[in-house]
Amino acid sequence: MAEQKKLHYYVLFKTYTQGMMLHELLKKDGIKSRIAPAPRAIQGELGCGMSLLVEPDVVDKVRECIEKNNAEYHDIVPYETSINPGRNRFC
Amino acid sequence: MADYRKMWEELGMDLETHDQLCAVLPTAFGDVYLSQENRPEGMGFWDMVVADVHGIRPAELIEAQKNGQKVFGTFCVYVPDEVIIAANGIVTGLCGGSQFWVPDGEAVLPKSTCPLIKASVGARLGKTCPFFRIADMYVGETTCDGKKKAWEILAQDVPLHIMDMPQMKRPQDMEKWANEIKDFVKVVEDFTGNKITAENLKEAIHTINEKRKGLARVYEARKAENIPISGRDALLVSQIAFFDDPKRCAMMTNKLADELEERIKNGVSVFPAGTKRIMLTGTPMAIPNWKMHQIIETSGAAVVCEETCTGTRYFENLVDETKDNLDDMIKAIADRYMGIHCACFTPNTERVQDIIRLAKEYKVDGVIDVNLKFCTLYDVEGYTVEKALKEAGIPVLGIETDYADSDAEQLKTRIQAFIELLD
Repeated sequence: MAEQKKLHYYVLFKTYTQGMMLHELLKKDGIKSRIAPAPRAIQGELGCGMSLLVEPDVVDKVRECIEKNNAEYHDIVPYETSINPGRNRFC
Repeated sequence: MADYRKMWEELGMDLETHDQLCAVLPTAFGDVYLSQENRPEGMGFWDMVVADVHGIRPAELIEAQKNGQKVFGTFCVYVPDEVIIAANGIVTGLCGGSQFWVPDGEAVLPKSTCPLIKASVGARLGKTCPFFRIADMYVGETTCDGKKKAWEILAQDVPLHIMDMPQMKRPQDMEKWANEIKDFVKVVEDFTGNKITAENLKEAIHTINEKRKGLARVYEARKAENIPISGRDALLVSQIAFFDDPKRCAMMTNKLADELEERIKNGVSVFPAGTKRIMLTGTPMAIPNWKMHQIIETSGAAVVCEETCTGTRYFENLVDETKDNLDDMIKAIADRYMGIHCACFTPNTERVQDIIRLAKEYKVDGVIDVNLKFCTLYDVEGYTVEKALKEAGIPVLGIETDYADSDAEQLKTRIQAFIELLD
């Protein structure tokens, strides 16, 4: 069966401290974000760093929150990925 | 992101191959962790650490080295962290838990070696893990034949001290172990250039005890009827504890435990009521080995306890903090560590007693005795463990596996059948 990919947005950062700060700001505003390793495909030459995974329906709110708080980040990248607990593929 | 690539390059890592590891981590982490609902907020810290697992902590260790501190890489819960911390050294776990490192290990080891040893050797020789590059000295121990011979290979590449474990727990063995710790004190003093005193050892004993208490509180919360944290999350906390600064580990685990205790008060569970409670016993699960927990928790059960070196064996029992002179403190350390019941000892009846005790404390419906392939010690002891559990009326399933994905579907079928039988 073909895997169902879904569009997510990944907020990338220069440092994890920026990421954790935005995670807190989003939480305060009631916007759900999840801490996740950034997919290698969207990192380019950047390291194995943390990112915030957000759903498409809140990405505009995330941008507003960033602007309102002047929060630091590197980029917001749309990326299709699948989260499949039954895949049974491990590292 | 921070310029970790430069850091990895300076560590002499194989960046191209390391990129392949970086590529698979997000998918596995997504499947195992992001797929879960209602996780404790406090897990954000551990998610962050894993998301940047080869960046944040390695960068801290390198900074500490620049300030003159030495990093000791260890592979076993018998190596006393207290000694290293007392000499202002840093401990980092080095056990390999990924299939990714196995082929590089198999290049120099027989295939019929346990995956933990193959992955650990492979991570060093394949130059694909920063922790293995950073550690100034490795500390091995003689807990199995595979490791004993692997140290000889690793010692050709990195300074390595070996602690000789007793195989029995008679009074003369306890004394031998205390002497082994005394020798280790000298090795650490010489390597760091720092004297270990009654004062700094007392402080180090306290630091590591506090870390153990933090982990114990997280585990204590898992005994509740409403399970406030998944087994996968608890495993991650334990796995990262081997790498983290011990004071930060104590702080973060206590903070998480506060949240879990609040969840218990409010009846919050991450599993539906009536979910079968499973305890795992057996060999350690080094990061990122999340395989068994993921299969069990996607098969309708919850893992509530691990009687493993990455579980209760890591934090149960404290070192007596009332001693004031160096010899008494070393004896207290020796006593505490000899209270860990690994299958490398004979006889090892205390481990069986621990398993029965833990099964009752965590109110488990069944036990899965899971051992890494080619681990003769745990495999042979499995007979005694399973016999004792059956006699106690506790259902048990014995499983032998490794880090590969290939047996996952077969394991799932067996585990689902076992869980159904628990009804």
